[in-house]
Amino acid sequence: MFHSPQMVKKRVPEWLNSSLWSSTPSPSLDDDRVQPYTSKPTTTTTITSSSSTSDYEPPSMVDPPIPVPPPKPTREDKPPPQPQSTDSLPNHEDKNNTTPSPEDISRQAQLLVELSRKTINLRDLRRIASQGIPDGAGIRSTVWKLLLGYLPPDRGLWSSELAKKRSQYKHFKDELLMNPSEITRKMDNCTNCDTDESKGQGKGLLSRSEIIHGEHPLSLGQSSVWNQFFQDTEIIEQIDRDVKRTHPDLHFFSGDSSDAKSNQDALKNILIVFAKLNPGIRYVQGMNEILAPLFYVFKTDPNEEDAASAEADTFFCFVELLSGFRDHFCQQLDNSVVGIRSTITKLSQLLKEHDEELWRHLEITTKVNPQFYAFRWITLLLTQEFNFADSLHIWDTLLSDPEGPQETLLRVCCAMLILIRRRLLAGDFTSNLKLLQNYPPTNIRHLLYVANKLRVQSSG
Amino acid sequence: MLVPGKIQHIICTGNLCIKEVHDYLKTLCPDLHIARGEYDEETRYPETKTLTIGQFKLGLCHGHQVIPWGDLDSLAMLQRQLDVDILVTGHTHQFTAYKHEGGVVINPGSASGAFSSITYDVNPSFVLMDIDGLRVVVYVYELIDGEVKVDKIDFKKTTAAHSAH
Repeated sequence: MFHSPQMVKKRVPEWLNSSLWSSTPSPSLDDDRVQPYTSKPTTTTTITSSSSTSDYEPPSMVDPPIPVPPPKPTREDKPPPQPQSTDSLPNHEDKNNTTPSPEDISRQAQLLVELSRKTINLRDLRRIASQGIPDGAGIRSTVWKLLLGYLPPDRGLWSSELAKKRSQYKHFKDELLMNPSEITRKMDNCTNCDTDESKGQGKGLLSRSEIIHGEHPLSLGQSSVWNQFFQDTEIIEQIDRDVKRTHPDLHFFSGDSSDAKSNQDALKNILIVFAKLNPGIRYVQGMNEILAPLFYVFKTDPNEEDAASAEADTFFCFVELLSGFRDHFCQQLDNSVVGIRSTITKLSQLLKEHDEELWRHLEITTKVNPQFYAFRWITLLLTQEFNFADSLHIWDTLLSDPEGPQETLLRVCCAMLILIRRRLLAGDFTSNLKLLQNYPPTNIRHLLYVANKLRVQSSG
Repeated sequence: MLVPGKIQHIICTGNLCIKEVHDYLKTLCPDLHIARGEYDEETRYPETKTLTIGQFKLGLCHGHQVIPWGDLDSLAMLQRQLDVDILVTGHTHQFTAYKHEGGVVINPGSASGAFSSITYDVNPSFVLMDIDGLRVVVYVYELIDGEVKVDKIDFKKTTAAHSAH
């Protein structure tokens, strides 16, 4: 079946000699067994051009796990210009729901091994998780909690930490979600004794009593609970509206079932508590979208005890996740060094570094200002650009990056641009903008692989 | 102090007299209940009205129909007729809050401090009721000598109430 490599190269047609098909194993992969970009036989058959090469097994590939490895597009300097553009690939995510591929199973095994250690090695966990966490294993919840620092690496401390945090959240809720009527009633019970007027038989004038601390519903005092209540009402209404609009296509979040309602209530509670604890930033539209995947993953944890406390766990993880991106939500910081504009500029520079032709065409020739598309990509952590299952996979990679999610996020955005470069280069302002604001369905594994390659090269 | 958005219902005992006052009240809160007073131009306000808010049944009547004006026993009769826990009436232009076996009668006084033939020295006043479960806190706002004074009154509804069976 094999020809010697030299003979292969002499005989194959020109187009097959492009850098796309060359297969120097990528140095970024630590683990040769687990390759992020491999696909099942089903996907390779659709790439008709590749099926012929599969017979010529490139010799430099080390121990491929499956007999028919597809051509790995190693990105030296040129991005893959081939017909194997991601547009033509079938929906990759379907395969995850059917049978897990061999590397999925091996990765799952590796993760389970890691998680069973007494002290989790976060570095190893990050490395494995960055290649994706298999859906069927039910371990994504625990892995994310570790990656976000909610669970300590020492397994023995887990139960005490969880208990502590969960009771803290309950305390927050009790304190912050009370309405003013309840608060004033508590204040009254402290001062007067509860004269039981409910004896009901008496007649006569009702006694008037003094109000405490000037607390009455129309009070305009800054410290008045009523005043604060009404000021918060606006934010609470906003949160309510946004939560109702979150993922209307998913039964988990929307619909008439009582589960959906209680999920929505949990999301609302988390956002309200967050807004009250962070008066500097309060609530900004979009936070609900960042919250949703976290809550979904934690709530669908097969461990029932954990799923029941999903709300508390999500709150802390949400705070942690948002801490890296808070500045994007603060309007005053828009133009500062840490604001969203500066991050978008970084993306722009990243693109220029890796693909100047595309950068030039986008920003200068067709004048597509990155703000028009990247704003949503970056602030909402790509939750709006792909379907829900795909964005969970992307978040696996984002969260497992030791450098922090932002660096990886920018690389993924850059990869998104590079993968559709042909269409972008062929398009004008209108078509490019339309394309970028409705990013076409794509093979997520491939996207993440390309994004990973960018890291390797930028360090060179 | 009175700004839109803070109040969920307005219960008005009547004698608004002109439409402009009605419209003003509408801007504070869209849910407006009015009973007809003897000087109201709008003929479509009812003489009495009942509504339920939370656990409480409230009744509304201007009060000029109940004679003697402001008499507790006669008002109590009206309250039993309407079968409500809280009866809100006016006409006397004076704030009072009575309690009897049948429930509570609240007269919020005159919001405008208008002249009354039965009361001297009318202070403008109104009342906010915070209905929370079985408990009501009544905040009384009065304009006395140019200053707004606020008091409150607490009462609870007995669950074994004298509701009509």
